Amino acid sequence: MQPITWTDFWIIFVTCALTILACRVLPLFLLKGKELPKRVEEALGYIPPAAFAALVANDLLTPGMFDAGIWPAGAPLVASVIVIIVARLTKSLLWSAVAGVVAYALLTMIVF
Amino acid sequence: MLGYVAIGIPCGILSASIGLNALQVFLMCALFYSGAGQFMIPNMWLAGSPIASIIASVSFVNTRQMLYATAFAPWCEKVSKRLSFWFAATVTDESFGVNIKQFEQGGWSVQRATLVNLCSQSSWTISCVIGVLIGNAIGIPLAIASFAMTSIFICLLVTQKLAGANIVAAIMAIVGVFVCKLIGLSGPAIFFGALFGVLCAFVFSRIRERV
Repeated sequence: MQPITWTDFWIIFVTCALTILACRVLPLFLLKGKELPKRVEEALGYIPPAAFAALVANDLLTPGMFDAGIWPAGAPLVASVIVIIVARLTKSLLWSAVAGVVAYALLTMIVF
Repeated sequence: MLGYVAIGIPCGILSASIGLNALQVFLMCALFYSGAGQFMIPNMWLAGSPIASIIASVSFVNTRQMLYATAFAPWCEKVSKRLSFWFAATVTDESFGVNIKQFEQGGWSVQRATLVNLCSQSSWTISCVIGVLIGNAIGIPLAIASFAMTSIFICLLVTQKLAGANIVAAIMAIVGVFVCKLIGLSGPAIFFGALFGVLCAFVFSRIRERV
């Protein structure tokens, strides 16, 4: 991985900061108290589950991931199951991250 | 408030893992201020996503802020434009929950709500910057940092309301990401996958309405 440069940082930071500011502030001034169309509101509600699932899938699934054997790709999957259980029980981001890291480290150590 | 510290420090540590320095993380907290976004940027950078794809995906996820802004609109009508701007610009998922409850109970003002937002933002900013310093000092392995972010997204996913169309959105987003990778579009896979998930959920609920 290349560490992020200042140029890349500025591009990402300025654009994302502007889009989020627009989403936060514009509806307040443009809608003037009217509600968002129901359909728009509904679609916005689907974004978090879809986006978080996409992020997880991007990290865990790759075509041909089992080509190098079951374990290298399987270990993160097993660790993920542990994270799911911890996340459902504690609803805590911190505990999920800690459980994930510990499980992942232990599971990859089994082989290496 | 403690929640911000508990998750701000890891966010700083993970930001440091892709080479972001304390000043950059400070700027992000001060002017961008999005928990999910500040985890997505290091995560997608680590996954080698192109810049355009990072921007599109992060902005897409942040469109949900529109929901919060409209929810507060009725209470912002009577206050000055400048105050409502500052208030709206500093809303996040967590402070949204706190403030909307207070507004609904009554006796709450936009001034106080803005103060809550600014306190949340300050504790988030301080803990993220401390996280960067810790991250630089201990230097955690990339594979570990990467899986910590995956775990955070898993937690964010499974704590969503998992019913009906939301499940369709999640499953079809996973399918979408996999198909994108299969046809060689691994760069924009997250954005297209998420968009596909939202579309499928929307179609699904239209069909369910008819049946």
